[in-house]
Amino acid sequence: MSEKKILEYDVLVVGGGISGGEAALNLANLDYKVLVVEKDLSLGGKMIALSKVFPTLDCAACITTPKVSEISRHPNITIMFSAEAKKIDKLGEHNFEAHVHQKPRYVNIDDCTACQLCEKACPVSVIDEYQQGLIGRKAAFIPFSIASPRAAAIDITNCTLCGACERACPTGCIDFTQTDLDYVVKAKAVVVATGFKLFDPLKIPRYGYGKYKNVITSMQMERQLAPTRPFNTILRPGDGKMPDNIAYVLCTGSRDKSVGNPICSQVCCMYSIKQGQLLMGSLPMADVTIYYLHIRAFGKGFNEFYEQSKEMGVEFIKGKIGNIKEKENGNLILRYEDIEEGKVKEAEHDMVVLSVGVMSNSEISDSFQGESLVLDDYGFIHQNDILASPSETNIDGVFVAGTATGPMDIPDSILSAGAASAETTSYLRRAVL
Amino acid sequence: MARINPKFTKELQSYGAFDTNACYNCGNCTAVCSLSDEDNSFPRKMVRYSVLGLESEIESSLEPWLCYYCGDCSATCPREAEPGELMMSLRRYLTSKYDWTGLSGMLYKSLTTSIIAFVLLAIGVIWFAAEQNFMPEHLLHYGHYFEMLAIGGVFLVILLPNLFRMWNMVIRKPKVKVPISAYFKSFSELIVHMFTQKRTLGCDDSQTRWFEHLILVIGYLSLLFTTVFLDWFATDSSFVLILGYVESVIIFSVTFIFMIGRVNKKTQQSKNSHPSDWFFVIWLFLMGLSAFVVRLFIDLDILETNIWMYLIHLTVLVQWALIIVPFGKWTHFLYRSFAMYFEKLKSLSAS
Repeated sequence: MSEKKILEYDVLVVGGGISGGEAALNLANLDYKVLVVEKDLSLGGKMIALSKVFPTLDCAACITTPKVSEISRHPNITIMFSAEAKKIDKLGEHNFEAHVHQKPRYVNIDDCTACQLCEKACPVSVIDEYQQGLIGRKAAFIPFSIASPRAAAIDITNCTLCGACERACPTGCIDFTQTDLDYVVKAKAVVVATGFKLFDPLKIPRYGYGKYKNVITSMQMERQLAPTRPFNTILRPGDGKMPDNIAYVLCTGSRDKSVGNPICSQVCCMYSIKQGQLLMGSLPMADVTIYYLHIRAFGKGFNEFYEQSKEMGVEFIKGKIGNIKEKENGNLILRYEDIEEGKVKEAEHDMVVLSVGVMSNSEISDSFQGESLVLDDYGFIHQNDILASPSETNIDGVFVAGTATGPMDIPDSILSAGAASAETTSYLRRAVL
Repeated sequence: MARINPKFTKELQSYGAFDTNACYNCGNCTAVCSLSDEDNSFPRKMVRYSVLGLESEIESSLEPWLCYYCGDCSATCPREAEPGELMMSLRRYLTSKYDWTGLSGMLYKSLTTSIIAFVLLAIGVIWFAAEQNFMPEHLLHYGHYFEMLAIGGVFLVILLPNLFRMWNMVIRKPKVKVPISAYFKSFSELIVHMFTQKRTLGCDDSQTRWFEHLILVIGYLSLLFTTVFLDWFATDSSFVLILGYVESVIIFSVTFIFMIGRVNKKTQQSKNSHPSDWFFVIWLFLMGLSAFVVRLFIDLDILETNIWMYLIHLTVLVQWALIIVPFGKWTHFLYRSFAMYFEKLKSLSAS
């Protein structure tokens, strides 16, 4: 343990998604030295995987990639991938000590040219989590085409250690001798931007996710609609047929006490409406029906966006889907009560998208030693003074940004990251004065 | 125009445990209900009626009786509003509405009143037995008379008028035009549902529940017949003797299973037990068990010296016949099957 490297920064940012990245960038531009600890192999979090954003229909990748490359190139920002802050200890004001554990990538990022020869050589195929399990990838792989850094990685749990990638690599950047690294990071402040998890629809067995192949999650549909999509068109996974009658099941795992998440996820209505509009574009002949409880289109331009989708032909039916049954041909029968009529009905669709909700991802709170990081009733990080200083946590010097505080959309996450960086700056200034 | 009565929910809550005000009208309960269909979409409709306090709509509704409480709606309700328990409470509410004496409502709403009624009847039985100097022969004789009298009396004075009131609320008041011939055509519906409860089979995963319930009903009705008309306690026929034993064993074993279920609360429908549910299963259990033991004592020739055993049986019987049958949960046997009958009539009038 004595050989741990000691690193010093002004701010430790936990999480390299859009909120963590934005906060890091703001702080770095003010000349603070920032360390971003990212669990994954790439920056950009969930946003970089999205197709387009509501309500402007801007391409998500086109916004994320420049930002992400700005973060990676910034002289004041250091990024650690495959890394987790295991222990965060507040030793005193402006004096934090974190133990960061980094797993080996088995590839020297700086030498990798992303030529993909290792991918070709690798004989192991596994499910591609970056394409939401819609297709496969190799055990030696580049996470996704717009990943930052665009460098290969070895999925060691699935690797057979055959050495084919190593032999194929023209730059010799694959290095199986890499080991786990532990660092001691000294920082004056901490920004927590650990984001959220998507609701696991396996928890609602009556919707048949995992059992019926043509029932997919909204994130899987998001991948099918993205420019870097796996099939280059929309296909239903069961038989590769192009769907022409798609249903959306809103509030899958949100506002539902029976699955332990009584709160609204704030984004599902809008991303479903967005996907509806995009589907109208990519499958002009397809019908899209959104089954909703209440449409929550509360943000700037949201209601107009909702109205626009109706004009484009997206159908809205008020009623929660009770259960889904599969027909022999892979089509699905959705049972619901049409609230407008007060009658129970069944509808057939050839593909069902479950608009899954936003769940907390706050394991980071376990890392805090001594004073623990307080969470709210739903596992999100508690904001001490949500109105006056929304980024403050219960620990002075630890700030929170983005969906780590609760469900929110991208513009709000950026605002939240801005607030977090401003409050962090003001905390750091106090150290100087 | 419907008149809203916000106080109604409170009144209804005295019949059971649920939170209709939590409902945000998603319709999940109706959609997961396997008995719900386009003609009869429930329970959300009944939740709406209850929230708004539409008493006359509730009184004319058959939906509470069309629900066989699988509990799926309550288990999956996103607001934990317990729609299944609301339907159960509505059945109790309707039972008290149908009852012209008003005693059902009093007994359902107040546990104290129920206990007082049970105690008074027990005192009455013991007082009567004391009058007869605890003579076993007299007691058995009058006990048998009581059985016959109670069956006829309760049916004619309480149950028949109540069924008529039910018909009045469901068919006549809402001006459902039913041709006379339909009453005859649909009669088979009444009999089939009364003796098979086959609608329970439409409830998901409840085949065992249906089977247990069915043999309990058959066991109960045939024990009733065996004791009253075949005079089980005084019979010489070994066939009748054994038949009675079998029937009473069925009754107390099945009710024992039901009681265990209500204690364990593993299934949705056994989670919320109202006192009236407990009275129903416990008294049915005690009836089966005490009848069994009484007959056993007769066969062992020790009843004469242990007349207390017959007194227990008689007390349970009197409480059952004068409280639970006319004013308690027993009535669901009639109302459920008549609801299927009236439902058929309504559908015939519509077409």
